[in-house]
Amino acid sequence: MADETQKPTPDGGVSTENEVTQPLGLPRWVSAILPIVLLVLVLGVFAFTSPLASIQSQSGEPLPDVTITHTTLPSDETVVLHVTNNGPDSVTIAQVLVDEAYWNFQVEGAGGDQTLAPMESAQIVIPYHWNPGWDLNVALVLSDGATFENTIVAPSQAPGFSLSLLWTLAVIGLFVGVIPVALGMLWFPYIKTMSDRWLHAVLLFAAGVLGFLAFDAGFEAFELAERVPGAYEGNLLVVSGIFGALLLVQAISAWREGRVAAGDSRASSGLWIAYLVAVGIGLHNLAEGLAIGSSFALGRVSLGAFLVIGFMLHNVTEGPAVVAPVARGERPALGHFAALGVIAGAPVILGGWIGSLAYSPTIGAFFLAIGVGAILQVNWEIASMVRDAGGRVASATNLLAFLLGLGIMYVTDLFVAL
Amino acid sequence: MPSIDYESAADVTKRLEQRLVGSLTGETSVSRRTVLGSLGVAGSAAVGLGSSRASASPGHGGDDTHGNFGSVGEYQDLDFDPHEFLTAFNTGDSGQDNVPQQVYEEDGRTVREFEFTAVDTTITIAPGVEFQAWAFNGQVPGPTIRAVEGDLIRVKFTNLGRHAHTIHPHLKNLNPRMDGIPQNGPGVLETGESFTYEWIAQPAGTHFYHCHSLPLKEHIHRGLYGTIIVDPDPERVRENPRDYVNYPGPITDDMRTRFVEEAKSRNHEYAENDAVNEMVMVMNSFDTNFDGGNEVYAANTRAFAYGVGSTDGTGNWTAGETKRPIQIDKNERQRVYLSNATEFDLINSFHTHSQFFDYYDHGTTLTPTRKTVDTIMQTQAQRGIIELDYSDHEPGLYMFHAHQSEFAELGWMSFFEVV
Repeated sequence: MADETQKPTPDGGVSTENEVTQPLGLPRWVSAILPIVLLVLVLGVFAFTSPLASIQSQSGEPLPDVTITHTTLPSDETVVLHVTNNGPDSVTIAQVLVDEAYWNFQVEGAGGDQTLAPMESAQIVIPYHWNPGWDLNVALVLSDGATFENTIVAPSQAPGFSLSLLWTLAVIGLFVGVIPVALGMLWFPYIKTMSDRWLHAVLLFAAGVLGFLAFDAGFEAFELAERVPGAYEGNLLVVSGIFGALLLVQAISAWREGRVAAGDSRASSGLWIAYLVAVGIGLHNLAEGLAIGSSFALGRVSLGAFLVIGFMLHNVTEGPAVVAPVARGERPALGHFAALGVIAGAPVILGGWIGSLAYSPTIGAFFLAIGVGAILQVNWEIASMVRDAGGRVASATNLLAFLLGLGIMYVTDLFVAL
Repeated sequence: MPSIDYESAADVTKRLEQRLVGSLTGETSVSRRTVLGSLGVAGSAAVGLGSSRASASPGHGGDDTHGNFGSVGEYQDLDFDPHEFLTAFNTGDSGQDNVPQQVYEEDGRTVREFEFTAVDTTITIAPGVEFQAWAFNGQVPGPTIRAVEGDLIRVKFTNLGRHAHTIHPHLKNLNPRMDGIPQNGPGVLETGESFTYEWIAQPAGTHFYHCHSLPLKEHIHRGLYGTIIVDPDPERVRENPRDYVNYPGPITDDMRTRFVEEAKSRNHEYAENDAVNEMVMVMNSFDTNFDGGNEVYAANTRAFAYGVGSTDGTGNWTAGETKRPIQIDKNERQRVYLSNATEFDLINSFHTHSQFFDYYDHGTTLTPTRKTVDTIMQTQAQRGIIELDYSDHEPGLYMFHAHQSEFAELGWMSFFEVV
């Protein structure tokens, strides 16, 4: 490469005249809308004249893409596959294989035929006398011979909808979510007596707890995203959910700071952060509930006492995280504590219901992602709280406390395996 | 080398068994590299389950040139004994306790009546490895039925399993209602339903029966299969010798006499049959992890059941309680009624060490369809009769196994002990 003499570039110091007059003297709204009108026109021309048709015929058809999102087993003689067509073209499910044998089936919810339009979902109902615990491999054979398969590991019957199931999930949610958080909040009087240094350590411990939950839920979300139908872009959905929640909660927080600057005393209290923490934890617990509920829906429940105990140990650490921000200043009214506990803990119940009644990997992954975003924002908030109180976020004590939070969550997480 | 020596025989069985059990039970086995002092059969680094010395017999020098072994143990579940099954024939006259049966005359025809029940049960397929099976009268393979050409076989079948079942016989059956398929006669029999199947025992030979419910693969490989032996009638053979031989030339009196003699030796109602030691073997296999491939292979369900019990690896072996070679008298003629129930694999095979045999495909002929071979193959539901003669052999162990090495190493590995 020969050296090139660089031309000096203007450094942008040239001031241009600020033109407020529109070209041709048109009103402003016309210049705003004009590109859109032209775009519609171009699209119309493109659609009618198909200038790329010759290329299309040479480069072949787009490949069919069908996802079996999940399966349900409503009775011991029925297998239901939930399928979505992700491809750009319609697909026709011509045959179904069960354990490499052609089997009869019915397609429900695709307009009465076996053809799925792009993005259309349907249920394939297979009358098959399956055996509990014996893996079942199912495959869809499309009209062009392409196959999409799914293995139902250790099948067991789904409980189906009933009030007793809702009640069961409510009781589980109570034990797994509400009670542990409430117990954890009982540390409040003790936290109140702490010096600044130790209070900040507790706050950072809470941040560690939340940080662990963020990773935990994040990995879970990406894992679940793999089962999201391709057209919904599972991984990007999770990323959007994380950023969306993070920025939304942060926007609310920024609005609050604006209120504080304007002299609103209520907005400056730690109660605000406590509520934010409760919301973040609540979203996480919603996802935890989803996991429990969907394990019911998929007939994969192994909720032994041990698991519930594990969840309780895991969630009891969320209590101090909620109340630490209000340890300074006036004690909030008891009603606030109740509200904080309910916001943080009760979503387990709600999540359980959603998970058991309307399970889908898409919803699950999205909820998890929202939880992650909310938690990340809460950690941001905690850090600024410590800083505003004159503490150093990255002091040795605080870092160790954060690490302890991570560590305790890791250890208690070992007891939880759905 | 006229025969395999004791040491390697015991050795190989032992190690294959360990490998199989280890792979199935998922025990975290201690992998130990052995220092190889020789290039013996056991030269490879063995994976031992536990200590190596504990199982070595006292007095053994302790130079681990043959690899390390831990005890794998015997079969604990004694509900089924492959050694008993070998010679358990149900004729209506006599048979197994778990097969109610009787024999009587009806319209000048001998009727052999059996009660069959399909049940869901758990069987043991390797030491410590259980398999959820569907089984006729609680056993896999199902009971061996034995009749004489022209008899009526009447099977009172009751289904007590969770799934619908049938019995489909590989016989020449003139009535489609009795074929035991979903599309004919009573169709499949749901839980609690009964049906009486009636089949004429024909043609002479060794045959196969199995459940024909859907999905077929599941209903067969879960254990619903067995053997029907139809003995040739010597009188019929005398009159229609051509039905029993694949031979276009003139049939001399001498030949006719020979065929009749052969038929008598095959017919359990004749004294000539007592001079022959007859065994039933069903080659079968089990998919324990639902991947459409088998983890355990065997003759008569239990991996290595006809292997040696234990060995010190220097030629001294002892027969185990449940795992032991099949003892045979060298002066007796040996006959194996072999059939193949293997699912998921195209073929299975039977190979004898240091020995050649005559093979009668489907057992429908009185002259061998393959003469002087040491390996035959069968597809699923194929069967045949193997005639062996060990009278020239020295006493000792003679291996026989599938000659798909994979199947042998996964359990279909056995020994005759010639005494």
